[in-house]
Amino acid sequence: MISQIGSIAISLAGGLIFSSFIFLALYRKFNNDNYLQVAERAILATCYSIFLAFFCLLNELLISNFNLQYVAQYTSYETPIFFKVTALWAGQAGSLLFWTFITALFTVCYIFTTLNKMKKLKFHSFIILSFIFSFFILLTNFIANPFEPVSPDIIVQNGNGLNPLLQNFFMAIHPPILYVGFTGSAIIFVMALAASISRDISFEWVQSIRRWSLFVWTFLSAGIILGGYWAYNELGWGGYWAWDPVENSSLMPWLTLTAFIHSSMIQEKRGMLKKWNFLLATSTYILVILGTFITRSGIISSVHSFTAENLGPMFFTFLSMLILYTLFWFIKRKSYLDTPDKIDSFSSREGGFLYNNLILILMCFTIMWGTLFPILSEAWDGNKIYVGASYFNQLNIPIGLVLLFLMGIGPLLSWNNTSKSVLFSRFKLPMILSFLSGLIYLIFSSIFQLYVFVAIMGVSFTLSSILGEFYKSYKKYNRSSNFFSSLIKMFLSNRHQNGGYIVHIGIVLLFIGFIGRAFEVEKEFSLSPGEQIYFSNYVFKLNSIKSEARDNHYAFLSDIDVVDSNNQLLTNLKPEKRIYFYWNSDPEKRQPHSELDIHSTIQKDIYSIFSAYDAQKNIGYFKIMINPLVNWVWIGGVLMVIGSLFAFWPSKGRRR
Amino acid sequence: MNKVTTSILIIFILIVGWVFYLTNIKKDNSLTVRYYSISELASESNDIQKIKVGGYIKPNSIQISDDDQLEVSFFVYQNNDSVKVNYYGIRPDLFKDDAEVVVSGSYNNSLISATELQTKCASRYEGDLKNIEKI
Repeated sequence: MISQIGSIAISLAGGLIFSSFIFLALYRKFNNDNYLQVAERAILATCYSIFLAFFCLLNELLISNFNLQYVAQYTSYETPIFFKVTALWAGQAGSLLFWTFITALFTVCYIFTTLNKMKKLKFHSFIILSFIFSFFILLTNFIANPFEPVSPDIIVQNGNGLNPLLQNFFMAIHPPILYVGFTGSAIIFVMALAASISRDISFEWVQSIRRWSLFVWTFLSAGIILGGYWAYNELGWGGYWAWDPVENSSLMPWLTLTAFIHSSMIQEKRGMLKKWNFLLATSTYILVILGTFITRSGIISSVHSFTAENLGPMFFTFLSMLILYTLFWFIKRKSYLDTPDKIDSFSSREGGFLYNNLILILMCFTIMWGTLFPILSEAWDGNKIYVGASYFNQLNIPIGLVLLFLMGIGPLLSWNNTSKSVLFSRFKLPMILSFLSGLIYLIFSSIFQLYVFVAIMGVSFTLSSILGEFYKSYKKYNRSSNFFSSLIKMFLSNRHQNGGYIVHIGIVLLFIGFIGRAFEVEKEFSLSPGEQIYFSNYVFKLNSIKSEARDNHYAFLSDIDVVDSNNQLLTNLKPEKRIYFYWNSDPEKRQPHSELDIHSTIQKDIYSIFSAYDAQKNIGYFKIMINPLVNWVWIGGVLMVIGSLFAFWPSKGRRR
Repeated sequence: MNKVTTSILIIFILIVGWVFYLTNIKKDNSLTVRYYSISELASESNDIQKIKVGGYIKPNSIQISDDDQLEVSFFVYQNNDSVKVNYYGIRPDLFKDDAEVVVSGSYNNSLISATELQTKCASRYEGDLKNIEKI
């Protein structure tokens, strides 16, 4: 019953979105505001029926209605409730409906808040939104319908259940957070196009699109970092980023959006760069769709991708239409977007932002090039050539290091122009500290690594520059003698800027984590209980390997003592080898899983994997990795999110 | 004003240089690896230094060495062609019959010596209904 309602709801959404096109056409023809009103209601009604369909699917998952193929595929009676809910986005059909659902959520927000204030944008916003909706509704209705029943000759007793490897909290929550970022960028796309087409770029519009961008950026960043955190703690290859096409396609829109957030500040302050900003705002969503196309079409071999049905051509058509539409209006509105002002000097704040944009776009382009290289090279001469992580590292590390320094330089530049003497006095301290830290590295390091050397100098330069800015504005607010109250006053005084600085500090901390990668070491070895091995100044002693039958799996438990160079017991590691479905007579259905154990400190992680066990000889096979400074990546990530929330949160005076 | 024009010129030259560099990475063997399909390999008799191959693990072809659990050999197939792979190291958890794998390594005497073995990630686990008990 409920599933029929859901099925009807998504068909209804299709009809409603079609009717909105008709009313928009009528409005265009007769210029009667009532038609626009009806179109608006049609879009809102579409959103509401998508909500309905979404909650129907949620209901079916919760009550385990295995008459639905989707429910039978991704849940079983044994699946915990939390993972029944997260099964909403575990598979193709569900994740598309989920995507549509969030788009609908944002659309309702957009119509009731932003469009209420900027009525002139309505018509063109509705056209683009209807277009986006009709694509996704088409998919959920005809290509990947989550309400598809199982074939009538089967009675399903119990569902497949969610793969135990996916039953992990961070695995469950990072996709929806990313999706919020992905779909939110649709609103930025719509706003940028609608304002340019209707020639109505106002100061209010710039502020509003900046708020949307910050919001979307927060979720994109959080999703990317959480994905890395999950990979590091669960997947057992000891890293958090592998330059996989799926990861790249979330990073590319992040880079353009970051660029947009910076360059739109110039538009806000000085009304410049409209064309450039238009391109950045629209390309963010286009890159999101490109990424979705890459990962869902199976065109590029990735360890993550869906080997999908006929989604590839559909997404390709959608992508091409978005690009053509954007380019068409870009060319048509070129003269409107032209701004006469030129940037006076490159040693100004605007100049700093421009460099930052250039670097971010260069990085985005490099990543896109590498990700699409197999397709491009195949089209070129028939050889499908992949570029490995070494390509991305070799090209992006130098770009990233320039970016690191720019983050420290930017805040020291004034708007319009910075005179040489001011420049010198502001740069003096960060420069000195940077050279000092470089010198310390040269003295204490045994092997010289150029990138590490530059990165250390960059980190101390940028950190001291940003902290210096904080100190300066702290002194301004230091009228009351209380340290904390003036500190709080200082932070609240200019949320936009201070939030931005907090994000920058977060990114500097990320770089500290990245430096650690240069010092990673690993070793694979086998041990019998009682034996020990020496590696990287530690002794690893295997005490025992026990086995244990648990609720839903069978586990081999190792017990390893880690002794440091002073002969002190540092920690005890207990990585496990688990076999899920071990009772299944068919060995193919048993699912092994290596449960890691990580001894994590602020300086380094000792990362242990129990990779295999030879029961006859009683030998365990292990892999140990020493990963320095990894925790700084997570700390930096948290700081990034806090900083952007801080900047996003409305301050009293400005709003209304 | 003039200074700004020069800066733009310099930036432009840098970008052109960068693009030129990117278009030439194909010749740089350390950064790239060519992808072969299994059927392409079946007709390939020459040795290849760097190779990347995708396919499925042939059922019942996985052989784990008795001396060392980390040593394994198996066949990767696609349609009717298959190729033997030797690998030493930790295997991914999803490594089993009919699992989709991506293998990188070198190709000598019709045999792949893999340095890297990846299974399709479970993050997008598309199970099918064959595992469901039917009445």
